[in-house]
Amino acid sequence: MKNRLRVLRAERDWSQADLAEHLGVSRQTVNAIETGKYDPSLPLAFSIARTFNRHIEEIFESEVKAAAGGLAASGAGL
Amino acid sequence: MTDQEPDTQPMETPVDPLFTHPASPFLRTQASAIAHVEMPALPQVPSTWSTYRTQIEFGLAMVAYLMVLVGSVTVLQANPTAPWRYVVAVLPVVPAGLTLTIFVRALSRLDELQKRIQMQAFGFSLGATALLTFAYGFLEGAGMPHLSWTFVLPLMAILWGVGTAFFSFRYR
Repeated sequence: MKNRLRVLRAERDWSQADLAEHLGVSRQTVNAIETGKYDPSLPLAFSIARTFNRHIEEIFESEVKAAAGGLAASGAGL
Repeated sequence: MTDQEPDTQPMETPVDPLFTHPASPFLRTQASAIAHVEMPALPQVPSTWSTYRTQIEFGLAMVAYLMVLVGSVTVLQANPTAPWRYVVAVLPVVPAGLTLTIFVRALSRLDELQKRIQMQAFGFSLGATALLTFAYGFLEGAGMPHLSWTFVLPLMAILWGVGTAFFSFRYR
């Protein structure tokens, strides 16, 4: 999953360790999220969003772009 | 040097005028203009305890284990036929159980990525240990020397370490 974490972190002049301390996770986890190797859980994603005062969608971007209404249309059959 | 010359210095120096001194408790002084200064946030330095908590707890539990083990073996050697020898023989399990508690609590303190890495490492070590012990079992059947089953736990621990290193590296 793509994300803007590195940019937001740079805006605040925070190191990975600083952000990790804010979030209560390890520096390794912050690095893995930034490089897109690990997708955070929903609670951690919310806590990242809260830290930067943004919505989750402003930070994380799904690589599969769903067409507008696509989910509702495909979900109708279920 | 100070032993040779008697200490006459305090008598010669003038006595500090205590009652006129600015810091004297007898003198009414003006309160400083700045009542409160905002201190800059200092970088938080993690304490030894918070960084190495698991290692310290584990080390202490191991010391307790060794002490109980040595005590238990000594008592058993002195009383090889006592009716309570089984109780003494099994006593080292108590501090060993303490290390189990410490281990489980350390696991619960890990963050979500570390937990995932540990899950993969445990799975790997379990499977690889099964594979290796089975393989050696077949070799024993074909005439290789018999190894004690106490080798299984060290093997599992080594493979767990290898697995942790490998899966950590994948998230680097």
